[in-house]
Parts: sequence; C-alpha cells; structure tokens
Amino acid sequence: MNILTRILRTPLGIAAVVMLTLVVATAIFAPILWGEEAAAVDTDNMLAGPSLEHPIGTDQLGRDLLLRVLVATRLSVTLAVLATLVAVSAGLILGVAPLLLGRHIGRGVTWLVGVAVAFPGLLLALSFAVIFGSGWLGAVLAIGLAGAPSFARLCQTLIAGVASRDFVAAARIGGVGRFRVLTRHVLPNIGEPLIVNATIGAGGALLAFAGLSFIGLGVQPPDYDWGRLMMEGLLGIYVNPLAALAPGMAVVIAGLSFNLVGEAAARSLGIQVGGFTSKVRKAASKPVTAPAAVVAADAADNDDVVLDVRDLRVSFPGPAGDVRPVRGVSFSVRRGEAVGIVGESGSGKSVTALSIAQLVESPGVVEAKALSFLGEDLVHGDTARHRKLLGTSLAMVFQDPMTSFNPTKRMGAQLAEVATEHQGLSRKEALARAIDRLDAVRITDPAQRAKQYPHEFSGGMRQRAMIGMGLMGAPALIIADEPTTALDVTVQQQVLDLLEAIRERDDVALLLISHDVSVVAEVCDRVLVMYAGRIVEDLPAADLATAAKHPYTRALLAAVPDMDTHLHLPLATIAGRPVDPAQLPEGCAYAARCPLADARCRAVDPHLATDEDGDRVACWRAGEPMPLGMPQVRTGVETNETEGVLV
Amino acid sequence: MSELRFDDVTVRFGAGRTATTAVDGVSLTIPDGEVVGLVGESGSGKSTLARAAVGLAPITSGRILLDGAPIAPRRGYRPLQMVFQDPYSSLDPRMSIGDSIAEIIPRGLSRAARRDEVARLLELVHLDPTHARAYPGHLSGGMRQRVALARALAGRPEVLVADEITSALDVSIQGSVLNLVRELQAELGLSMLFISHNLAVVRYVASRVAVMYRGRIVEEGPTLQILEDPQHEYTRNLLAAIPGRAKTPTLI
Amino acid sequence: MTTAAALPAEDTRTARENRWLRFTLRRSGRLLASLWVLVTAAFLMMHLVPGDPVRAAMGPTAPAAVVEARRESLGLNDPIWQQYLDYLQGLFTGDLGTSIGSQLPVAETIAQRLPATAALAVLAFLVAVIIAIPTGIAIAVATRRGRGRRLELGFTSSSVFISTIPDFLLGVFLVWVFGVSLGWLPVAGRGGPESYILPVIALAVGPAAILARIVRVEMLGVLETDFVRTARAKRLPLWRIYLSHALPNAVTASLTLAGLMLSSLVVGTVLVESVFAWPGLGSTIVSSIQLKDYPLVQGTVLVYGVGVLVVNTIVDLVLATLDPRTTVAEH
Repeated sequence: MNILTRILRTPLGIAAVVMLTLVVATAIFAPILWGEEAAAVDTDNMLAGPSLEHPIGTDQLGRDLLLRVLVATRLSVTLAVLATLVAVSAGLILGVAPLLLGRHIGRGVTWLVGVAVAFPGLLLALSFAVIFGSGWLGAVLAIGLAGAPSFARLCQTLIAGVASRDFVAAARIGGVGRFRVLTRHVLPNIGEPLIVNATIGAGGALLAFAGLSFIGLGVQPPDYDWGRLMMEGLLGIYVNPLAALAPGMAVVIAGLSFNLVGEAAARSLGIQVGGFTSKVRKAASKPVTAPAAVVAADAADNDDVVLDVRDLRVSFPGPAGDVRPVRGVSFSVRRGEAVGIVGESGSGKSVTALSIAQLVESPGVVEAKALSFLGEDLVHGDTARHRKLLGTSLAMVFQDPMTSFNPTKRMGAQLAEVATEHQGLSRKEALARAIDRLDAVRITDPAQRAKQYPHEFSGGMRQRAMIGMGLMGAPALIIADEPTTALDVTVQQQVLDLLEAIRERDDVALLLISHDVSVVAEVCDRVLVMYAGRIVEDLPAADLATAAKHPYTRALLAAVPDMDTHLHLPLATIAGRPVDPAQLPEGCAYAARCPLADARCRAVDPHLATDEDGDRVACWRAGEPMPLGMPQVRTGVETNETEGVLV
Repeated sequence: MSELRFDDVTVRFGAGRTATTAVDGVSLTIPDGEVVGLVGESGSGKSTLARAAVGLAPITSGRILLDGAPIAPRRGYRPLQMVFQDPYSSLDPRMSIGDSIAEIIPRGLSRAARRDEVARLLELVHLDPTHARAYPGHLSGGMRQRVALARALAGRPEVLVADEITSALDVSIQGSVLNLVRELQAELGLSMLFISHNLAVVRYVASRVAVMYRGRIVEEGPTLQILEDPQHEYTRNLLAAIPGRAKTPTLI
Repeated sequence: MTTAAALPAEDTRTARENRWLRFTLRRSGRLLASLWVLVTAAFLMMHLVPGDPVRAAMGPTAPAAVVEARRESLGLNDPIWQQYLDYLQGLFTGDLGTSIGSQLPVAETIAQRLPATAALAVLAFLVAVIIAIPTGIAIAVATRRGRGRRLELGFTSSSVFISTIPDFLLGVFLVWVFGVSLGWLPVAGRGGPESYILPVIALAVGPAAILARIVRVEMLGVLETDFVRTARAKRLPLWRIYLSHALPNAVTASLTLAGLMLSSLVVGTVLVESVFAWPGLGSTIVSSIQLKDYPLVQGTVLVYGVGVLVVNTIVDLVLATLDPRTTVAEH
C-alpha cells in the first residue's frame, strides 16, 4: 500500500492508476454486460462499416465489433497477467538458484541465462510456441518462458546487489541458514523493484500476446482476443480499417496503463536527479554606493590578496524549504598562503570551495557581497575573461581521484586540453607541456604515462596528475577539496609533500578543505573551522593545539585520537549529532552540543568577531575555561578525572 | 573468550596466471582476552584475513584454530562474529534493530527470554532498549555501529573481529564507539581482532599490533613497543606518514 | 579507501595489442559458446514438439506409408544423438535440412528470402540510430537541471506512447493512412525504394523512441559525473564538454541497452513482414509455423538467432573501441 499512496501523489501516477482501473473494470464487467450481445450473429449485416448502431462496424458474421473489442479485454488482460506470472516465477527460480544450489551449478545457470537474455523475447516466444502449439495455454507458456531470462537476469542483479551488503554477510556469520537469509533478507529487499518491473512486463506481455495472436499462433477460435481481432480486421482493411485499428488501440491503451503504472511506481521509488547550476548573484540588500566602497577598500588593503570572499551564501531548494549549506562565509587568501578549512559533514566546507570555484550549478544559488580572484570581480564582469583567468590561474583538486578523470580519454590529452584552450598552444606543444607537468608532479616515465588511460593510474598518481593539470597554467591558487581522503596514508604524505613543494617553488596559495584536523594542521598556515555553514574560528595553525578559543574547535581537537592520547582515559566526544542544514536553530548552531552554552547562546547567534591578533571567533563565551570534567585544551594541565560524554 | 590463531594462512583468489594472493602465509595469534590490532594500507590483505576468519573468504592453505582446534561452525552458532565498516550497509533496512539482533541469538530461548536478551544487549552498548522497535533509517551512523556491536555480541562469540568500524564515522562520533569497545573489552574480557588503517586508533584500543603489507605480516608485537621502536622499514614509513609527526611538535 | 594499483607503463603499443588480442579471443569464445547453445536449442525445439512432426505437417489424411517414408528420409527414426551429430555436420556443410512442405532445401529457401529481411533490418537500424542519438542528446542538454520541464514531460510521454505501439499495429496504421486513404505509398511486396518507406518506419519508430530515452537518461547521468565537473573546472567551452567529454561516455553507457533494442528490431521483421506481405524470412517463419514445416522453422530460427548474436558482437566490439576499460575487465 505504500507504493500505491506514493504513486497517487503525482499527476502521472493518478492518470496511470485511473487508466488501469478502467481497463481492469472493463475486463471484469464487459463479458458480463455484453457477452451475449457480442456473440450475436447477424447475417444481414456482415462486414458493415461504422454506423450509429455499430460504431466500429461488424465482422464477417455480423457481430458488433465494438462489443467484441470490449469483451476481448478480459481474455487479453488475463492471459497477459498469466504470462507475466509465469515469467516472474521462472525468473525468480532461475535468479535464486545460484544462491541455493552452490557455486558450480549456480555459475552454469547464470551463464545460460546470460546467453538466453541476448535473444529477443519474440524469437524465444516463437520457438516455444512451436513446441507448445497454438492455443492460449501454449501461448501463455511461450510468452512466459520467453520473458523468464530477462527476469532472471533482473533477479540476479538485484540479488547480487543485496547479497553484497554487509547485513547479509552478518546474518550468514551469525549462523542464519541460507534459505532463511533468502526469505528474510534478500527477497523483501528486492520485492519492490521486482513488482515494478513485473508491472511493466505485463504491458510487454500484452503486446507480445497481440503479436502471437496476430499471426495466428495465440488464441484460437471460438475464443478471441485483441490480436485475433486485429488479424481478422486486417483482411478487410481496405473496406473497414477500424476493424483492425480499434483492437490495436485497445492494445495500446491497456499496454500503456500497465507501463505507466510501472513507470510511476519506479519514479516514486527511485532517485531524483538533483540539479545544481551556478548563478553568482549579488546580495540584494546592498545600497548602490557600498559595493564600490567595499571592493576599493579591499584592493587598497592588500595587493597580494589572491582570493577575497565576503559574505558567501549558498542555498538549495529542498523538500521543506530552502537548505542553506553556507550562511555567510568571509575570508581572504594571500599570495603563497595556505589556508585550511576544517569541519565535519554538514559544515558546508565543500560547498564553500565549489561555489568559490564557480562550480555550483542551479538550482543551487550562490550569492556574495564580494567574490574576487586576483582582483577580478567574479560577481559581475566578463564571463569570457573569467573563463580564461580561472582556467589558467586557478587549479582544482577534487576528492575522488577514481572518478575525476574522463575514462575514455588519454591522460596526456586531458592535461593538454587546458593549454590548447586557454594558452593558445598547438596540440603538439600542449602535449609536450603536459608531459613536462606530469614529470613535475613526480610521475615516473611521463611520456609513456601520458598515452595511458586513467584506469591505468593508481589513486595517488591520479591525484598528482590532477595537480599537474592545475599546473598547466601558472596557478596563483590551488583549491583542494579533501584531496587525500580517499588515499592511503603513505600516499597521502606524497601528495601533501608535492603540494608543499609547489607552493614553495612558485609561491602558490592553497585553500585546503579537509575533515582531518591533523592534515590541515600540518600543511596550512591558517585554519578556518566551519560549523553549520559558518566560520566559527579563524586562527593560525600553530595556535590550534594551544590557543583555540571556540568550544567546538577545542572539542574537535580533543576528540581525535593521536599518537599521544592518554591511554588511561576515555576519549573525549562531542555530545549530540552534527547539525542538520535543513533545521537550523535560532541562536548559536553549536549550542545544543556545547558545555558552555547559556540562555544567550541559545537565543542569539554570535557573529564572527576579530580580536587583537587578527584571529576571529564566533562565540559569546570564547576562550572561557571548560567546566570541570570536560575536555580541556591541552596546555599541559590534565585533570585527573575526565568523563567522556557518550552520544 | 578464547585464543584465536592463524597458522600459515594463505588466501588466493582466481586461478592460473590471473590469481592474486591476498594473504600470504600469515601466522598470528590473538591471545585470550586481548585486543590485537591489525594495521595496513589498502591491498595489504587485512580485510581478507578478517573475512577468512569468519568464513566469508575461502582459505587456500593453512589453518585457523580456536583454542587449538579448527573452527567448526554449527548451524545457528558461530564462535567468531564480525562488525563491519559501513554503518549504512550492515543493518537490514527492512528489519527493526531488535529483530536484527534477535536473529543472531542462539536457538532455544523463549520469545520473552529473547526480548530480554535484546534489551540487555542494547543496554550493554548504551542504547535505550525501547529503540528495539526502531528501524535503522532512524539511527545515526554511530548508533548503528553500536547496534552492529550488540548484534555481534548476541551470538555469544569467542572472538570478535572489527573491520575498520570507525573509519566511516564522523570524528566527533568515533570516540564514543572506541570508548565502548574499550569498555566491552574490560567488562567481558573480549578477544578481539581490531583492523584499522589508523595507527592512533589502534594504539588506543589494542595491546598488541601486527603490521600487514602486501599480504604478509612484516612486524608484530606489543603496541607501544612497535610504535616507539619500529624495526621494519614499512612500519617506519607508516609512522612517518602520519600527519603532524614529522614537523609539528608533540601536543602536550 | 582504495588506491588502485597502477598498470605499468611498459611499452604501451605491444601491451595494448596484447590486451586487444586477449579481448578478441575472449569475445570469440563467448560467441562460439552462444552459437552452440543456439544451435542445440534449435535442434531440441524440433524434437520437443509433441506428437509426430511429419504427420502434423502432412495432415491426417496422408497415407501412413508416405508419412513413414518421409520420416525415414528426414532421418527421424535414427537415435537422437545420431540426429544431433548429423544436424551439426549438416550445419558445417550448409545443409539445413529439407522443408517438409516444399521439398526444397531449407538453405535454399533461406538464401532466397534473407536479402529482403536483411535490407529491411539494416535500413531500420540505421534510421533508428540516426534519429535517436542526436534527439536524446539534444533533449538531455535542454532538460538538464530541471530546465525545460514541459519539454521533458512532452518527450517522455510521447516516447512512452510511441514505444507502446507494437510495430505491426503501426504497420497496419501506416497501411491505412498512406496506402488505403491517401494512396501515396505502396503497401504490399518489395519493389522500388518507395516500398521500403512504410515498413522501415514501422520497424524503426518504436526502437528509436526507446533508444532516444535511453540516450537522454545516460547523457544526463554523464553530465553529473565527477569528470564532467573536472572539465568544467578547466573552463572548457560548453560544446567541447558535451562533444568531447560527455558524448563518448553517454554512447558507451547506452550501447548495451541499444544492442538489445536493435536485436529486437531484427526480430521485429517477423511481424512487420506479415503486414506488408514482404517476401522475407519473417513471412517464411510465420507460414512455416502455421504449416508446421519444422525443418524450415528450425532453419529460420537459427538464422534469426545468428543475426542477433552478430548484432551483439558488433556492439561489444564498438564498445571496446570506445571504452578502453572493457578490454581489461575480467568476467
């Protein structure tokens, strides 16, 4: 019933269900209401054309065709459903067999199904029809068995998907028998997709039946279904075309209703393709003169500011209103400086990086009071010029090296593209430069490697190639979004060393995003701690261990075990869960988890205040000592008894 | 709880030229009541070794012995249980967590006794027993890992295998799960094989550690000793690669 | 956490040739195995028919002696394994048996009728692909990210509607509109180029609609991948991102399903030929089933099966050329 209510929420779903209900109702009631009339022979009126009395005409025995079409619904639909049941049952058995019958027989079955699946259903149906003979039973078996291989393949895929999940392994390890695993774990989890496909399959079976009957193999007289009616009608097509087309339309309507119900169900169960495009807009509230003032002030401030971000906000439309993963982030990065953004999931750090790089697409909306790169205002200004600037002076490194390269293009070509597009180099020159860059990122044998495809590179090599791609121009800033999260720790070290070397050699600034505080502490000069879409602290990396002021920063540092963690004490934890970006509280977003929170914290959101050292922190109680029993900043003062807080 | 011993275990996949040796002649002992950490990077074979122990991967040669005897899994009871890495895949989304746990409880208990046992286990992992009727979709990652722990313990195992159980959790949650592991170990005297790529975590939890590289154990011994005075070059590389080791001064 | 091992940067040309060789061998092996299954299934088909096939074909009134003689001449009294071996041997020499009805060699009949069907199938295939791929891509680009909602709705509904119309029904409809009512195009038999138009449309439209949908979905999927994001990060012009990065991946992603689509198109000739009285294998198989002329049925089923396998193999080869990962993938 769950599926049904979900389907009925969309207009498509409603239309489909209504159609199907009509079809089923006709199937049930038409023979009752009009069965006799449809069989009434009228020798005076044979092969008549459409008229008021007979809207579609009559057949060669004078029987009313419209009624015959309506009455035929029952047989057509019933047989299609029967055939589908045969197909699904056979498919289930074949699909489940490998699980129950052991490895070797299972593999044989899988292979056989694989061969059978290559052959179109109609061919199989014809072959089976030869064996089973004509008539409705033979046709049901023929079409049913013809559909079995694709259902078997579907079952196999679904089952493999479920069986690979850990809870199935856990059940097996727990001593649960194979059969019970199948019935309690596997089947319930494949039920929904199977039913949806069966519904669409019923539509296909209907069409297949029509086809078989059309060539005389299916239903035999005196029974008649739509296919048979079409065949009879085809003979008189020059005289009364409706005789053939009307049953055909019935086939289409019924088939459509099955297909649409299946599709609607699939949509309501499936995933939606989320969109994201980028439109950097100015914040609406600014008065006209202020923008000039803001930008000018910054320009006068620091000539070597590479990136300047003021009040960056990003929002996405969500099911219950807008979701704001970034709520007013401001910071700047100087030439050669390494700034780290640290935070957990939901903090908005990745979205910040993507929106700065202009890679957030609609329906996401990016707004900022100012966003400038190398003095170039990215909010307004010429997009063509931006393209070239961003393409050569900004380098991006993404998180997942396995999916960040085009699998169908050679590596050298993917690097060379940057140069041919933005630097006006010829193909050959660009490729030579690409090889040179691959060498610069310490990839051995770069000339050979450039001819390889991404899947021939290891994860660490791909990240280095990614960095190399960014070095095709002369980048002033590298934005690295969790560049080493997916890598082994030794490989991570190589990549971080490489970034360090590049920074030193070419005075390149770095914006490093990571959830790993130790990585950020090692690599960066300054650290921005983000929580719930805001920067909550901005301090030098060297001060992290000793002078963090925001309770979240301190808790984060205390919660991460490192090589010097006290072994005799429970690990510090942070109570509660990371905040849900869709449900932000009124006051400080961290208040619910903060041991220092008071009434003011919960009511009023603290702003990011700059102190005399130039550091920033957003907390009403910044720097205050934690209550006894809470993780302290490690200044060498350890309390004897520290209670870890359990989640 | 008992002693688990890997005796020259080799696990090979495939055949002929395309065969890969995931575990190559590994001998390792998990003493009774101790937590042994197994560290290594991807491709080291540590997960395969764990899966071989619980019967999810076939052993090509060698033996795995529990208290000196080969493991004989009976219907309904297996002496080794495992907790997996991905909290979102380790629980059946269509079963309440109480049912997931109850499924593993050995046969022979009445319905009521089973319910009580489920409640007891949930409390053991510091979860509210009324959560027994909740579905995994309503729980956070950290809570799911606790349920997974409770489920593993429901089987009254002799040895527990934990495969990267905190790697997929947020930093602020990891601590609570690790604290729980320590607590359970202290209370129940668990023998445990604790797999992780994170040396700091292993240091916190395990009394002995083994380092795996390319299917072989390259170094093994008491945790603090190995971490302070690594003998094998790979161990030294691993330690040096930890961010913050080489450059920033130690925090304290 | 994965760090895939790098494949060595050895001498890439020989490495690549080796991989291709191994891939071709593997694929040929699969083809041969599938062929064997097809051939055996075709053989079994005839022998699973209940009752006496010769009697069924010759009718209840034929004298028993004649029926027996025909049985003997078709080798139906030999033990089954003997028949199987004879059958296989026959295949190698091009002997597909003799039609019970016409007494002519099956191979001859097939050779006569095959070109008509092949012409129809190939043309319909080309038309379907030429319509579907650009349409799918264009609609994908136009309906990305929630744009063009109405276009998406219109496209999807028409595609679903069109694909629900069976090819033979469309054929009947076209016969009525263009043949009967308007009289613009011929509707029966194979003649000059204009006689191809209606049958090809009837055959191609359904698969084209489904293929366009598949291409659209795959294209949308590709446009959301990380590597397209990387291409955008490189600030490449849109046309380059679509054509050079997205398109090859969308095509390879759609190819497997497209292959299934196209093989069903081949088989669609069976019904469409009936509608247009096309002198091809489709009409042959239909009439031979109706007349219970089993050797002929067997032969035509075999030929159709081979056609399907050929389409699949071609699709796999094209896929391997476009996507270098498939040559490495183990099965």
